[in-house]
Amino acid sequence: MAHAMVEMIIEGGHRPALVQGLRELWAFREVIWAFAERDTRLKYKQAILGVVWALIQPLAFLAIFFVVFGRVARVSGGSVSYPAFALAALVPWFFVQTAVSFGAQSLLIDVALVRKVYFPREAPILGAVLSAGLDFGIGFGLLLILGPVLGTRVSWTALLAVPLWVILAVLASGIALTLGALNVYYRDFRYAMPLLLQLWMFASPVAYPLSAVPERWKAVYILANPLTGILDSFRRTVAEGQPPDLRFLAISAGVSCVIACGGYWVFKRMEPGFAETI
Amino acid sequence: MTWAVKFEDVSKRYRRGGASYASMRDDLAMMGRRAIALLRRTAVESTEPFALDHISFEVGEGEAFAIIGPNGAGKTTALKLLTRISYPTGGRVRVRGRVGALIEVGSGIHPELTGRENIWLYGRIMGMSRQDIAARFDEIVDFSELSHVLDKSVKMYSSGMQLRLGFAIASHLDPDIFVVDEALAVGDAGFQAKCVDRMTHLVTEGRTLLFVSHNLSAVEAICRRGLFLLDGRVAAIGDMRNVLRRYLDWVDEKRQRLKAPGTELRGRGLVVERATIHDSSGDERYVFSTGESIEVQFHVRAQCDIPNPWFSLGINDGRPGELVLCSMLEQAERFNIRAGAHVVRCHLGPLPLGPRTYELWMSVRESRGAADLVDWSRVGAFRIRLADETEGVGGVTTPWLYGAVRVKHRWSLEPRKDILPTPSLVPAMKGSSEDMS
Repeated sequence: MAHAMVEMIIEGGHRPALVQGLRELWAFREVIWAFAERDTRLKYKQAILGVVWALIQPLAFLAIFFVVFGRVARVSGGSVSYPAFALAALVPWFFVQTAVSFGAQSLLIDVALVRKVYFPREAPILGAVLSAGLDFGIGFGLLLILGPVLGTRVSWTALLAVPLWVILAVLASGIALTLGALNVYYRDFRYAMPLLLQLWMFASPVAYPLSAVPERWKAVYILANPLTGILDSFRRTVAEGQPPDLRFLAISAGVSCVIACGGYWVFKRMEPGFAETI
Repeated sequence: MTWAVKFEDVSKRYRRGGASYASMRDDLAMMGRRAIALLRRTAVESTEPFALDHISFEVGEGEAFAIIGPNGAGKTTALKLLTRISYPTGGRVRVRGRVGALIEVGSGIHPELTGRENIWLYGRIMGMSRQDIAARFDEIVDFSELSHVLDKSVKMYSSGMQLRLGFAIASHLDPDIFVVDEALAVGDAGFQAKCVDRMTHLVTEGRTLLFVSHNLSAVEAICRRGLFLLDGRVAAIGDMRNVLRRYLDWVDEKRQRLKAPGTELRGRGLVVERATIHDSSGDERYVFSTGESIEVQFHVRAQCDIPNPWFSLGINDGRPGELVLCSMLEQAERFNIRAGAHVVRCHLGPLPLGPRTYELWMSVRESRGAADLVDWSRVGAFRIRLADETEGVGGVTTPWLYGAVRVKHRWSLEPRKDILPTPSLVPAMKGSSEDMS
């Protein structure tokens, strides 16, 4: 054998060692990619429908929002038209929704593998989040093409979508890890998830602007829902062609990181029992 | 010899008797109980039994090691701890080198993807690098015998083909320690032979093998050392043959206990209270070696005088047909049984029986054989123990698994005398075969 013999010790009464866990995760990065690639291939197996599906979701919601919020409730899109305003938040929102719902289910989908093959159990979840990134890419393409038609102001700030997406992915991973672990232990959870996601969407400034929130609640709102700052930044950079509000963004990014670390810790704590419970 | 795998006082206890998931309500209730217990400073003890109960053993580097035992003894649990699929409750498992498992392969194969995609994706998920797969891709395809359907989606494959694909991927991982759990029950006979080849090849290459199987012949042929697990404890460990002997002995003993009826046999005018078996010195025994003489005693109670009853005794190994039948009809001397208690003895000469459990059957007919006084029934069981002198690759399991009757034998080989290997014959034979074609 060419590689060095590394002694591995599997200790009873396992407690998570996060640094060691992250080091191992890095060693298994190829496995995460494999899961991401598999999920993507499966999703786009019927190629045309697959791509169209990534477009249908935000467009359908855009139509509903346009009628309900734009026409009936007369929500203002600020400096841009309401459809442009809504689409700029719908695209990142659907990334979060897809990543969280697929990520949280992925251990249950891969039961056979979890029971028989060892890999860090977060690998399929992170793979699902990454594979949702492709949907985001397609949606973002739509935003770039359709945006100017709807009235966005395209500027160099649209490039900031990439780091913003990274923050979104960190947040989505943290939540998917927590829900994924709970899903293994409590199957009832699966039924609650679509509802929770729906509630989360309406609790985030997707259909309405951040400015619609009363000033004294704003701080609590931003702290409690890390999506707030990210979606707001998205809207500013991609739709309005302005730099993001760094104060809001920093808070949201910080909260996202805390959620990601917490989710990872919860996940690692519950991980040893997965194969027996699932 | 350095070790590759070391179990140090390892125990495993499954939560709520194995694979089960709780509802949140149950868990909240449990949390409540724990909180109360914490307040009262008492502990909530788990009552689940140990799947593995403080076991320790070592597997040397490059060694072929088997774990045998009945179902539920903890064999698969031990492998799952080693492959990190589940975690020990106590103690520790130490492993030197990469572990590759072949635990019921084929399960992870995705039906919507093609064979080619599955090899690429599952090879990586199971731990191969892209370079590894690229280098071994053709080998994997050859091994699976699926080159003709490689670009069809796996849902079109038969279940045997899917298993073959899974095994081909898993068996081309390149681990230092190879773990195999009943993976040989895959595909047709030809493919199974290939799998055994592959395993033997890996062993001769110096890989460490941990093998869990109920196929004892394969275990005996492949492994030099082993472990017999029983109820999560080490029942025997060491040289494979000795471990196999201990295991087979245990299996037979259990069968014997199951097969010996404890009740008396009531017939017409005659009750057989019990049947006992004795060795040549008269001691009651139920375990013998091949070639020992035995005596069977029927302890009977006659309710009236029975003239010339016709006793029969049969020995079989659980399959239809008697291996031995001893009947009073063969004997000139007959007996009259008066009302009262008697012992009817039958002495049997050296028994040429192989190691396994045998059943003892009997019947009693009236003097002309027209009617049964006692119907043909099982009255006991005894066991022939495996003799230690057997040698050869299948020396322990072959006599146990196959023919029941043991006859001393010796194999040899010599050249045929009717055909002389003269050079002049060779071209003539070649010519004739050409004529035929």
